[in-house]
Amino acid sequence: MKKNNILTLISIIGFILLLLVLNITLGSYKMRIFNLCGIYVILALSLNLINGFVGLFSLGHAGFMAVGAYTCALLTMSPETKEMNFFLEPIVPWLKNVQLPFPTALIIGGIMAAIAGALIGAPVLRLRDDYLAIATLGFSEIIRVVFTNTQRITNGPLGIKGLPTIGITGQSWEIVIWTWGIALFTIIFMVLLINSSYGKAFKAIREDEIAAEAMGINLFKHKMIAFVIGSFFAGIGGALLGHLMGTIDPLMFRFLLTFNIVLIVVLGGIGSITGSVISAIVVTISMEALRILDADMQIGGYIVKGIPGMRMVVFSALLMIVILFYQRGLMGTNEFNWDWIINRKKKIQKI
Amino acid sequence: MRKLSLFLVVVMLVIVFTAGCVQKADAPTDEANASQQEDVIKIGVFEPLTGANAAGGALEKEGLELANELYPEVLGKKVKLVFVDNKSDKVEAANAATKLIDQEKVSLIIGSWGSGFSISAGEVIKKSDRKVAAIGTSCTNPLVTKGNDYYFRVCFIDPFQGNVMANYAYNEVGAKKVAFIIEKTNDYAVGLAKFFEDTFKELTGDENSVVYKAFYNTGDQDFTAQLTSIKESGAEAIFAPGNFTESALVTKQAKELGLDLPILGGDTWETPEFIEIAGEAAEGVVFSTFFDANAKLTDNTTKFLDAYKQKYNKEPAAVTALAFDAYLLAIDAIKKANSTDPTAIRDALAKTKDFPGAAGVVTLDENGDAIKSAVIKTVKDGKFTYLTTVEPVKK
Repeated sequence: MKKNNILTLISIIGFILLLLVLNITLGSYKMRIFNLCGIYVILALSLNLINGFVGLFSLGHAGFMAVGAYTCALLTMSPETKEMNFFLEPIVPWLKNVQLPFPTALIIGGIMAAIAGALIGAPVLRLRDDYLAIATLGFSEIIRVVFTNTQRITNGPLGIKGLPTIGITGQSWEIVIWTWGIALFTIIFMVLLINSSYGKAFKAIREDEIAAEAMGINLFKHKMIAFVIGSFFAGIGGALLGHLMGTIDPLMFRFLLTFNIVLIVVLGGIGSITGSVISAIVVTISMEALRILDADMQIGGYIVKGIPGMRMVVFSALLMIVILFYQRGLMGTNEFNWDWIINRKKKIQKI
Repeated sequence: MRKLSLFLVVVMLVIVFTAGCVQKADAPTDEANASQQEDVIKIGVFEPLTGANAAGGALEKEGLELANELYPEVLGKKVKLVFVDNKSDKVEAANAATKLIDQEKVSLIIGSWGSGFSISAGEVIKKSDRKVAAIGTSCTNPLVTKGNDYYFRVCFIDPFQGNVMANYAYNEVGAKKVAFIIEKTNDYAVGLAKFFEDTFKELTGDENSVVYKAFYNTGDQDFTAQLTSIKESGAEAIFAPGNFTESALVTKQAKELGLDLPILGGDTWETPEFIEIAGEAAEGVVFSTFFDANAKLTDNTTKFLDAYKQKYNKEPAAVTALAFDAYLLAIDAIKKANSTDPTAIRDALAKTKDFPGAAGVVTLDENGDAIKSAVIKTVKDGKFTYLTTVEPVKK
C-alpha cells in the first residue's frame, strides 16, 4: 500500500471518530449546520461533475433534488402520516401503504433522479453552452410545476410534513453518520471517477469538444454518464435535505436553490473537488455565522442598529472579493494531495 | 488594478456599515441589562425579514414591537424579543428555529408569515429535546398545527374562511351556482377553494353547484380564457382565492369581458395594490379577513389602533394585528404558567379560552387553531369597507 493511501485511510477513520465526538459536544443548532454542510458537499460535488469536469453548464439541479426528495419522502412515510398530510384530496391508493426502510428509499430516490436525468439528458445534451443552461433550467421548472399539480401524489402546493428522521433507528448520532458518510462516499467516488479513463475523457471534452471527438471519445456517451451520475447524487442530496428538514414543498425547489449550489461550485473552483468541499462548508457555515450582523451590535459605546439582510450584503461583498482576487475560485482546478503537504513540511523543517 | 478594486470593495463595506443607523448607546441601561440577564424572559421571533416575503415579515414585526412596547414586562421580568430572519426560505426557517431553541434558549417562539416556514420550524420543535411551544401569526395552512402539539396560532384557518365565504355566497349573494378561479401554485388558495366547495355543496344540496373550476399559476397575466369559460358556465358568483396581484387582474379582466358577477375572495386581497391594479373593477368585490378597524372586536382593538396610529401614523394591516395578538397571548400564557419553563407555558397556552385579542376573541381548539370571528369586507369608492362580522360556530 502506498504511503499516501495509508494517510488517506487514517484521516478518514479519524474524521468518522471526530463526527461521533462532535455529535456529543456540539449542540443541536451547530450539529444541524454541520449536517447541512455534509449535504451541500454532496450537492456541490454532483453539480461540479457536470459543470466543472465535463463543462456542461446545467441549471437543473433543483429539479433532480425535488425528484429525489419526493420519492424518498413518499416511500419512507407511514400510512398514518400520509393520511394526515393528504387531507384535501386522498393519496393515490398504490402509494398509500408503501413504507420502505430509509436506506432503500434513499437509493430509489437517487435512481429516480438518475432516470429523470437520463430522460432529460437524451434530448438536451446535444445542445451547448447557454442553450443547455436554459433547457435544463426549463426542465427543473417543469418538474416543480408538475409536482405542484399532482395533488394526489405530492399533495401539491400544500407540501408534506412529518418525514421520518434520517437513519434506521432515529437516533441523533445516525443523522451525522448518514449525511457525512454519504458525503465521504461521494468525495471518494468522484476522486476515483475523475482519475479513471472516464475522468480523463470528461476533462478532454471540457477543454475542446472537437479535439476530444477526433481522439475517438464518444461525446454523447460520456456526457450522458456524467449527467446521470450527477443527477443521481443530486437526488440523494435532495432526499437527505428533505429528511433533515422533515418537510418539503414544491416552492423549496425553486431556481434559487440551484443558484446556491452554482455559487458554491464557482466559489470553490470549477473543476476542483477539494474546492467544492471547502466552499460548501465555508458558505453554509458563514451564512449562519453572519447572522450576528442582522442583530444589534455594540461597538465601543455605540449601538449599531441591526438591519435585516445585512449578512447578505456582507456575504455578497465577500464573494466579490474572492472573485476579484481568485478569478478561478478558491482552488482553481487544483486538488488536495498529501505530497504537497509533506513537501511543505520538509521545507519548513529545512529552514 | 488589484489595489484599486480592493479599495473599492472596502469603501463599499464601510458605506454599508455607516448607512446602518449608528446610535449612541444608552450605556447605563445596557449595563443594567447585562447584570440582570437572569431577569429577562426571551421570546424568539422568526420572520421573513428579507427575501420574497419581506413585506409580510416587516408588517408582523411592527405588531410585535408595538405589543412589546405596551406590555414590556411579565412576572416582574422584562420581555426581550429575539428576532431572527428566515430569508423567506424553508431551510433557513428550520435553522432559525433551531438557533432560537438551542442557542438563544427562548421560552416561547412566535412566527411566521407564510405557512411553509412555520411547518418547517414546527418539525424542528417537534424533534428537539427542548420542546418550546410556538404561536403562529398568519399561517393559515391546516398542516401547521396538525399532528404537532407544540404549534398554536392566533389566526383562523382556511377551512373556516372557506366556510364563511360559502355561507356568504349562498345567503347574502343568493347564488345557487358558483365558479372558481384558483391560483394552483398557492397552498392557501387551493385549501380555501376546497373548503368553500364542501360547504357550498352542503348548503345547496346540489352536487353540481360548482359549475366550473379554472386554475392559473402565480405570475400569470392573462385570464381571459378561463373567464370566458366561466361566462358560459352559468355561474351566479365567482370565488377567486389567490395572490392579490393576480386576483386584481382577474377582477379587472372579468369586468372588461362584461362578466357582471359578484366576485368573492380571501384575506390576501386586503392590500392597497389590489385596488390600485383592479381600479374601478374592484368596486363591490367581497372578501373575508381577520380584522377591521371599524369592527371594534374587543377593548384591545381600540388600544392597538390608538397605539399603532401614534407610532406609525397609518392604518394597520390585519397581519400586524395578528402579530400583536400572538405577543399578547404569549404574555398571557407565561403569566398563567407563572414560570419560564417551556413545557408549563405550552400547557397554559393550550388552555387559552376567550382571550380578548386585538383581532377578535381567541379560543384555541384541540388542534391549537384559533376559533374566532371573521370580518367580511367589500370595496366601496376605492376603499376597503367593513360589511359584517361572522361569529364562529361554537362546538
